[in-house]
Parts: sequence; structure tokens; C-alpha cells
Amino acid sequence: MKIRDLIRGHFTLTTLLITAALLAAGATFTVLNADASGASSLNTQASPLHPLFPLLDEDGQNVLDSGGAVSTMQTCGACHDAEFIQDHSYHSSQGIQDLTDPGDLPGSRAWDTSPGLFGRWSPIAYRYLTPIGDEIMDLGTPGWIMTYGPRHVGGGPAAYAPDGTPLDELEIVPGDPQTHIIDPDTGEMIAWDWQESGVVEMNCFLCHTTAPDNEARLDSLHTGDFRWANTATLLGSGIVSQVGDSYQWNPEAFDDLGNVKKEALTVQDPDNNNCAACHGLVHDDLSEPLTISGCDPASLRTVTTGQIISPQRLSDTGMNLYNKELLDRPWDVHADRLLSCTDCHYSLNNPVYAQESEESRPDHLLFDPRRLDLGEYLYQPLHQFARGQSAHNTVAPQLRDTMRRCDSCHSIEATHNWLPYKERHVEAISCETCHIPEMYSNALMQYDWTVITAESTGVNACRGIEGDPNSPGALITGFEPVLLPKENIDDETQLAPFNLVSTFYWVHGDPSRPVRLQDLESVFLADGAYKADIVIALDTDGDGQLSKAELILDSQTKVDLVTGKLEALGLDQVRIQGEIQPYSINHTVANGEWALSDCESCHSADSRITRTFQIATHLPGGVEPQFVGDSNTMPAGEFSRAKDGSLHFKADTGVQGLYVLGLDAVRWIDLLGGFVFLGVLMGVSVHGGMRVYNAARSKPEEYQLERVYMYGVYERLWHWLQTITIVGLLFTGLIIHKPDVFGLFSFRYVVLVHNILAAILVINAALALFYHLASGEIRQFVPRPYGFFDQAITQAKYYLGGIFKGEAHPFEKTPEKKLNPLQQITYFSILNVLLPLQVITGALMWGAQQWPGIANSLGGLPFLAPFHSLIAWLFAAFIVLHVYLTTTGHKPLTAIKAMVDGWDEVEKHSNSYDEEEA
Amino acid sequence: MRNFKYIWVFGLLITLAIIAIPLIIFLPGDVESNAQDPWDFVPVREPATNHVPLMPGPYETGTQVTQRCLECHAETAFEVMDTVHWTWKGDPVQVTGRPEPVEIGKRNVLNNFCIGIQSNWEGCTSCHAGYGWDSADFDFSDETRIDCLVCHDGTGSYVKGDSGYPLEGVDLAYVAQNVSAPNRETCGGCHFDGGGGNAVKHGDLDQHLINPSENTDIHMGGQDFLCTDCHRSQDHVISGRSITVSLNTEEGQVACRDCHSEDSHDDERLNTHTDSVACQTCHVPVGAVKDPTKMYWDWSTAGQDRPEDPHEYLKIKGSFVYEQDFVPEYYWYNGIQDRYLIGDTFDPSEPLIMNPLEGSINDPKARIMPFKVHRATQPYDTVHNYLLQPKTVGEGGFWTDFDWDQALRLGSQVVALDYSGEYGFAETWMYWPLTHMIAPGSDALQCNACHAEEGRLDWAALGYPGDPIEWGGRFATGRQP
Repeated sequence: MKIRDLIRGHFTLTTLLITAALLAAGATFTVLNADASGASSLNTQASPLHPLFPLLDEDGQNVLDSGGAVSTMQTCGACHDAEFIQDHSYHSSQGIQDLTDPGDLPGSRAWDTSPGLFGRWSPIAYRYLTPIGDEIMDLGTPGWIMTYGPRHVGGGPAAYAPDGTPLDELEIVPGDPQTHIIDPDTGEMIAWDWQESGVVEMNCFLCHTTAPDNEARLDSLHTGDFRWANTATLLGSGIVSQVGDSYQWNPEAFDDLGNVKKEALTVQDPDNNNCAACHGLVHDDLSEPLTISGCDPASLRTVTTGQIISPQRLSDTGMNLYNKELLDRPWDVHADRLLSCTDCHYSLNNPVYAQESEESRPDHLLFDPRRLDLGEYLYQPLHQFARGQSAHNTVAPQLRDTMRRCDSCHSIEATHNWLPYKERHVEAISCETCHIPEMYSNALMQYDWTVITAESTGVNACRGIEGDPNSPGALITGFEPVLLPKENIDDETQLAPFNLVSTFYWVHGDPSRPVRLQDLESVFLADGAYKADIVIALDTDGDGQLSKAELILDSQTKVDLVTGKLEALGLDQVRIQGEIQPYSINHTVANGEWALSDCESCHSADSRITRTFQIATHLPGGVEPQFVGDSNTMPAGEFSRAKDGSLHFKADTGVQGLYVLGLDAVRWIDLLGGFVFLGVLMGVSVHGGMRVYNAARSKPEEYQLERVYMYGVYERLWHWLQTITIVGLLFTGLIIHKPDVFGLFSFRYVVLVHNILAAILVINAALALFYHLASGEIRQFVPRPYGFFDQAITQAKYYLGGIFKGEAHPFEKTPEKKLNPLQQITYFSILNVLLPLQVITGALMWGAQQWPGIANSLGGLPFLAPFHSLIAWLFAAFIVLHVYLTTTGHKPLTAIKAMVDGWDEVEKHSNSYDEEEA
Repeated sequence: MRNFKYIWVFGLLITLAIIAIPLIIFLPGDVESNAQDPWDFVPVREPATNHVPLMPGPYETGTQVTQRCLECHAETAFEVMDTVHWTWKGDPVQVTGRPEPVEIGKRNVLNNFCIGIQSNWEGCTSCHAGYGWDSADFDFSDETRIDCLVCHDGTGSYVKGDSGYPLEGVDLAYVAQNVSAPNRETCGGCHFDGGGGNAVKHGDLDQHLINPSENTDIHMGGQDFLCTDCHRSQDHVISGRSITVSLNTEEGQVACRDCHSEDSHDDERLNTHTDSVACQTCHVPVGAVKDPTKMYWDWSTAGQDRPEDPHEYLKIKGSFVYEQDFVPEYYWYNGIQDRYLIGDTFDPSEPLIMNPLEGSINDPKARIMPFKVHRATQPYDTVHNYLLQPKTVGEGGFWTDFDWDQALRLGSQVVALDYSGEYGFAETWMYWPLTHMIAPGSDALQCNACHAEEGRLDWAALGYPGDPIEWGGRFATGRQP
């Protein structure tokens, strides 16, 4: 009855276990992604279909008749819903609809008032948009248009107040920044006549014509001539010309009906050169070698990341690049393949490109063909453009990640079969990490506003360039972007490449705000030259001039001087603040051989992930900069100061929750394991040495030998197969753990060999377990509890003493009982504890790719991998001990020979404790 | 079995097999690119034999040298006499539109450079692989007239003059003793100087190819290829067909495919181009990389006393336009072309294309190929509307007397054309494919070169509705009528 109960209990338990296993298997099988196929895209070029149209001024009259400035709202608005376009465009609104009190946005600075260009302070541009109601005036709306207008398409804050009132209808209220400007001579607020200056309407021509004259437009904005800014954009086309301060429309450019001739003005989809007006350097012309100079924030987007959108091969440029001859790759492979900005950054209701997002699309639908009619789209095109989720772009937060990603067009299936664990790689690192391994141009490293130059700018420092950045002879060495974890919109974290730009500036007050440029100017400069006391304080080489290298506040005295002067202006709590802004790098993509394919780039001690990255050349006032709070990355690592005062950053995989094979290791485990291994090695050397010594000294005992067939064929096969695989696993495992030490081997192949050997070992072990269970041989490994300790101690005493005296083995080895108690307990632990643990941790490490959920729930690689390493050390120690102990047979090689051919030579003697028992 | 002493070997092998077999099965081999190794197809160069003891000399004439060569290489004579380097005329080829098969070659065609050799033999045959072809009655069966040295000169000192005779100062014994397999200098001695001087004619061959840099030609510069490594020879029959003097260009032509596979790009998109674009289009991005080549030749201005400059105007030849680093013109070409032959009539109000290319967008064998197009104006009979062969060299020739009428009359007599006495100058075009001076892969054309607004290809002229990057290729679905 007892047995039946037992079986029933087991049966239920077994059934439960099997069911659970099947369920688990089934669950893991459903973790398969079906890729949605994207709609095919057409590359739209300059449209020949645009009808002829007249240019109208803001009253709706033809400009030829009135001679007035062209109004894009009236002109383009005659056919397109210009009001709709302007109202639905972050390019235009730039956050005016999201204006808050200073510091209310999550993660923003204490003085930011919106996430867009209208309200988010730029530490590089430095001028601060004064919030309404603020007492200290820096930039009012007219000033904002003059300063930030160049990078703004018009409309939105350039035409309306936050409450929607047109700017030219605002009442002049003293102290209202919307209607006042600081007089550059007196520093006092004076009223701005919006009626006279006009406002800046959304400038269609800037993006939608073939050759907009951006220079003229910028001039117009800088001088406050807002009404004519859009007209100025047409200057290059011959439709209008500038005579002194006024503009003349050219009747030749118009036909008899008053429409602009098609040859004079071609309306087109924006091409890369249109976007380049604000968004960074584009160089389409293959025949002209590209040259850029300096570290100039005027081309902000280019200099903050070092990205250049050009198909030109680096070796064909006119830049002094390091190793230029070898760089026969284009700057950006997508530019080379003739993609344009709008192929990825498309208008969100463009019927050709836009697709419903994965989240809202029903499962049964791969592609929904019902979409906006082309005509309807042209009437009301959303000027909300798809964007990614870069760290530095806080604009249009509601549009984050609307852009198609790399995997919307590219598949790694066909092309990345050489990469082991490719799904795991894709999960842990972004495509850009390997496909933008290096930036070949220079980029901004820091911008220091704690001192200003004589031109009233901050002091910049670039990375990736040696020598004076403004001289064409400077050597452009480029830089490797720093890899930081980026939190994606779906809460997944991936490593991605960034450039970090640190900025330092004076703030005052509580809540804090940046010190105004005009205050800095009155502290440092008088009539465009440095004040005498400033020169005395900063001039370290005593030549009476302040060179760029001397414009540093690197001592408390200097800091105190400036602090005092600022406080004398009436500012309180004056202090230096520093911030680090990460800039995502997503362009200048490389393909083929230029992308990273060398495993040791990350899987080695000198991994790219943990390379130090310079943050700043010096820390003004010793202030350490802090990461900004509104980016989607975090400084997962440590900062350190070098001897020359520069600040460096080194990422830490542990903080990031990553365990990178070949790079990461838990020191104490390696130390402990090594200690145990060496200890065992020493121990067996001493023991063996003593045996040799004693054997040489004394006469060998004569024992009666019996030749016994000890080990069957299968047993031996199992044993040696296990031996070879375990030794192979230990060897390959060591190479994976420390790839630098064994640079000879290819990391990729070693990983694959390790996995294959592991599979062989597991199958071998499983079959052997079955054999042992089915044949009952398992009994040999199970120590008999009764008398176990006595026998174990006897055996131990033999090894520690008796063996040197040539005593007989306390235990006679027979085919029915091959293992002494110490062997039993050791093998039992090895085969039933350590081996399964090693197999399970190893399988889960492999399973980090196959079933990441289970692996992560058990701690993920950061837990499993060190555990695996520890057991590996123990196995290594075991092997040393085991091989040595096999030499304790009749002759040293007897037992090994027995395991090879099965025949052992057993000493027959009288003091076996079997006999005692019997 | 149990007592077999070496049974353990058996066991060891089985154990190792159990480990090795899964390793072999599951370890990925190196990513095999589908490109074959082009070096497998490069012909083996024969080792040289020392001819110093074999050619004792002295030799007064080239014929003497040849006779000595033939004492050992007797069968060579028949080989050479069978080839076009000797006959300057190809095998008969049936051409559509012509009743009889035609045998054409340099011997009997007109081009738009120096026009033709007939009546001008002594000047033109300085590039003949023979001695003494100074009239129509050259004995092509006389093997002693074969010039072995022009191709097999290993010294670089062998120069030929009128009628193919070696010049006075050449030490024939020295040359004969140092014969070698043909190299770039020997082939180039004639082929680089076609059209009257270095780099004039082909647009992709000039004397810089004797010792080119890697950037000039990746094969001859980078890999030190000899002409014969691509223009393989068997029994003195040298592969390669010039589309200006040959009609049977389908066989015996040299192709990139002889060594390189068409799928040899790592990028799949580039591999799909090879269905419609010839290798040369992207890999010979410009013509006349080193020395300027003649692009235009106006014979009608010849004979005037103007300041002379070999790149602008010569009294004997007329005015020219030379260009270097020119962008080629691109046309469909399937390997066959037609040819204007002496006596063919044409419409002088249109430019006469002397070797019209076959192939079109709908021909699957055709590829877009880069060409130098040489344009010229040359004399023609205004009554009969055919091109005329002027006598330029020698007595009564235009280069002596500067009398077109006389020159054309004398020439017409030789070629048996009826000359009406009225001549004019017609515009003619000839297509010269660019296939040498192959740039290194890193300098090949980029996408932008053709697929951009100001791209090199006139899509409409090639028969495309628009840029294939937008429309799809010529065989894309739905494109057939």
C-alpha cells in the first residue's frame, strides 16, 4: 500500500511537472514577431504640376500693383489651407501652445517655459526669452524673432501672441516683453512698433522653392524688417530685387495675367538643401569637394553632432581628415543612395508614407489602403513631421517616435547571419551603435559662457580636431561617439551613440535664471574691448592680450572677481552652473565594411562601451556639470578629472544593467576561483611529490592482483566524451571570459564552439542519466548512509597518510562497487549539483536570446554569468584533483588505462571493510 | 574484439567523431561571396627563353631576322598569317542588309580620323606587323615579311617607319636577342598612338599605360597586368575586337566576365545593375584620364596657313578639339554594330554614324555602355553622296600638295570609287567604347552620378520613362507595352 501511494503521489507530481513544462514550451513559442511590411515609397521630386499663381500681399492685392511685401498666407492660402497648415505645425508654433511658468516642465531647467524653440533656453545661443510678467528683460518677442528667427519658419510666435492675438494688434503695455525690445545702446527697454515692422508669416518659400535666398532672409530678420523677410527669400530668383532698403518687383518675372512665371519660381517638395537651411550641413554636389571650417555654433546642428549629410566620399572632400586616403566611404550611405530627408521625416498625413502605428492597427491588418486623397492632402498637408526620439530634441513631444525606424525598411534577417545572438544584439543595442561607429568630422565639446570673447560669444572647444579649428590646416581626427543607454518610447533601453556637449554659464537668483548677455558684456567689456581689471586677472602670460587659452576661470580669485562684478550689478546668489546635453547621433550611417563587425570592439577589456569620453577641457570654478533632465538617456557611469583639469566620463555596464561577455567579470569570483584552482594544483603537487619520494624510499608491497573488467563500453564512452567536452568548454569559456588574453582566437567562433560543445555535453549527460537510472548503475553513486561517515574518514585517512606508507586501499574496488565514499560524495555533487547548475545557467545565458523573459526574471546575465564563471572554476579545480586521484590505483596509470580499455587490476587483500562487514 | 590491443584507438576516434561532426555541421563557414576568385581565370604567363645565343646576327633587315626566327618557329608563320594583325582584314561576316558576306578590316574601311589606308600605305603601315606593305600588291603569303619584333621586342628600342620597315638606328641583333612576350610597351607602340599620335584615337589608351599608377588603371597599374592577360592569345590569335574595324564582334571578344563574376559586388543592389548597365559604365567614370584625346576633327579647315599646334590646328589635318577627363556618352550596346563601308551612300544633312550600335532598351543582351564619340567633318562626294578616300601620303597626296580635288581623285581611283569631281565635307560620328583605364573600385561612380537631377544619363534618350530608381528597371513588372 505504501508503494502504491508513493506512485500515485509521484504520478500526480509527474503529471503536473510535464504539463507545466509543456505550457512553458508553448508560451515561449509564441514569442515570435511578425514584421509588418511597409508600403512602397515613391520618391517625389520637383512637381511639374503646380499651377501658375499670383503673388499677393497681406491685403490680398497682387504685389505688382501694390508693390508691397508678399504674404505667404494670402498667396499660398489661395489654394492651400494656409491657416490649417500654420496651426498644425510645430515648425511654426515651436511650443507657444505649451508655454508654462518657468521650471514647470518635467525635467527642464528652472527657467525654461516650453519644450520648443520658443521658451526652451539654449545654452549655446544664450539669449533668454523673457516670460510675460518677468521683471528682468532679455529677449522680448521682437528680439526673439531677430535672434532665433533665423531657425524658425515663421508664423506661430513670430506672428501671434500666446493667446492668439496677432502681434500687430497688441496694446503697448510698459514692461511687456511682447512689445518691447532692449535698446542695444542704452540697455533700456523701448517699445516696438509692430505695425511698422510687420510680423513674420510662415515662410513657404524657404522650404518649397528650389533656391531660396536664406542669407537675405536672415538679414531682413536681423534688422527687424519682419514683414519683408519672406519677400527677401525670393531675392535669388529674379522675381524681386533689392534697391537700397526697399524691394522692387520685377514685372518680367510675371506673365500677362499677373502670375509668376514657372521658370522664375519652381514650387517643389522640400529637398535636402531646403532642410539644410536650419537643420545641418547637406552637401549634394559630388563634383565639388566639401570643406567646412571650425567649431562654429552658427551651423548648430552640424557642430553639435558632427553629422554631415552628403554622398561625397570622405577621400574626395577638401577637408584635412586623418587617414583621408583610406576613407573611400560616403559621409552618409542614405545620402549616397539618394534618400531625402522627407523619406523618413515625412508629413504625418502624407498618403504615400504615413501608416497607422502598430499599437492601434488591428492584428488582422498589415496595411490599410484607405487613406487621404492626394488632393485633400495637398489642400491640408500636416506640417507635423515624423520625428525620432533623439535625446536633444524636446520639440514636439507629442510626435516622438512617429518616424519609421531602421527596421521599417531594413531587415537583419538576410544580412546579419554572421552575427551570433543577433536578436539579443538588436534588443540591447540600437542599429546606430554599430552602423555609426565613428564620426569623421569634428564636433562641439563644450561651450563656456562664464567668460565671453570680445565678440560677445562664449568660448568653445571642439572634439575631434587638432590645432586651431579655424585654420584649414587643422587636422580633423574625428571622434568615437559615447555609448549610453537610451530609453525608447516603449520603455525598452538600448545603447545608442551620442555626443555630449557641456556648457557652463552664470546663473543668479532663486529660482535661478541665466545671467543676461548684456550683463556679462558690462562686466567683461567696455566699448568692444576687455576691461582693464579683467585683463589683469585673466592675462596669465602678461602680454596684455587675452588669448582664447586665457579665457578660463580656473582659480577662485578669478571666479570671485566676476562674481563680485555681477553682484555689483544688483544680481544676487550669483554662481556658475554647468550642464551636459547629450545629442543623439542618427545620421552619417555606414554600411558594409565600415560598420562594426568585429566582436572584440565591445567584447573585450578595451570595449567601446566603457571607453573614456572627454566631457570638458576644464571646469570653470571647479563646477561639475550635470546631465540635463529632459533627455531620454542617463549618465550610467563615472566622471573623473584628469591631471590637466579636464573632465572625462566612463560608462559602467553594471550601472546600466548590462553584462557584456568578455568585458565584465566579478572580481571576487575570479579571485576565489583562481585561488581554489591554484590551491588544488599545489596540493596535488605536494601529495604526489610525497608519494614519489616514499615510493622511491621503500620497497613496493606485493599484492595479489586480479584482472577485472571494470568499465563497460558505454560507461567509457560517456566518460571520455564528457571529458573532452568539459575541457573544451572550460577552454573556450576562458577565452570568452578574457578575449584579450587569447587574442589569437576569433571571439565569434569560440562562442559558437562553446555552444555546440555544451549541447553535446547536455545530450551526453541526459543519455547517461537515463542509462544509469535504467540499469540501476546510479546506485554506485549514492552513498550508503549507514556507516558512511566512518568509511569516509577511513578513506580520507588513507589518502592523507596510509598511501605514503604503501598501505593497502581500505576499500576493494569491484564492478558492483567501484566508488569509495569520498568519490561517491564528490561525483554525486559534481554530476547532480554542479553540472546541472552549470547547464542551467549556461542554457539561460544562451536563453537570454531565445526566451529573454525567463533569463531576466532570474537576474539576467549580470547574475547568471558570474555564477557560471564560479562553477567553471570549481570544475577546473575538480579536474585537477580527479586526474590526480586516478593515479592512486595499483600503478599510477592503472585506473586511467582501465577507463580506456575497461580492464582494471585490483589488489586482492584482506583488510577490506566489505569483508569486515561480511 | 575485447582483447584487441588497439581497441582504444577505435574508441578514441568514435569519441572525437561525436564531437567533431556537430562542430562541422553547425559552425558557419566563412561567408562565401558569390564572386569567383578572378585570379583563377588569369592566364599563366609562359617563362621566357634566352635568345641571346640563338640570334647571333648581325641583321641588316627585318626580313633577315624573321627568316632566322622561322628556322625554329616555322609553324608560327602560318599562325600569324592567319590573323588580323597580319591581314588587316577579318573573316567574312554576313551582315543584314548586304547581299554578300563582307570581309572588312583596317585594310579597306574608312574611319573619321585619318580616313583610310588605301593609297596611303607607306605612311599607315608603319603599324603593320610586317615589312614592306607600300602598295595594294603586298604579298600576304610571303612569310619572310612578317615582323616578329614589333610585338616581341623586349628592349623598347624597336621603332618602325614607313611601310613598316624598322628605322635606321635600330640595332636589330640586340632586339632579336632580347625578345620577350608582348608587353604594354610593345602593344602600346601602335595601339596607344592610333589616329596620329599619343592618346588621339581611343580615349582610353595612351602612353601612360606603359607604367600606369593604380589610379590610372587598376589592372595594369595596380596588378601589373599585361595586355595579353586579358587579350588572351592562342596560336597568335589575340582575343579582342575593335568595334571600328571588326564586324564579327560576338566571338573572340574580351569581357570583364572572363574573370569577374557579375555578382561580385557585396551590395545586392549593385549586382542588379549588371542586367542593364555594363561594368565599364561605373568603373570607367571618365575618359582620357591622363592625356587629352581628340574629340573633334574638322578636315575642312585643312590646308590653311595658320599658326599650328598639334592640339588645335595642323595644316595637313585641319582643326581639332581635344579633351581630357571627359564625361562619356552612354548608349545601349549589345556587342554588335553595323559599319559604313566604302561606297555606301548616306544623307549628308544628318551626321553619318560610321559604326551604328545595335541594342536597345528592349534587348536583354544590350547594356548601357560608355563611349567616346569622335565627331569629324571629312570629304564626301556631293553628287554620289558617299564618303571619299583621299590620298594623303606621298606624291600627289594632300599632305604634299594640299589639293583636295587631286587627293580625292587619286584616292578614288585606288579604291575604285567613281569621283564626280564635286566634293564637300560631311559630319561623321564614330563610337569608341571606353574599357581601359579602369578606376579602382573606390573611385567607381556613385548613385548620384546617374540618378540625380543633373545625372549623366539621359533617361528619355535611353528609352526610359524616367529615372529607374523611381520607375523601376527596364524589365520591371508592368513596363512592357
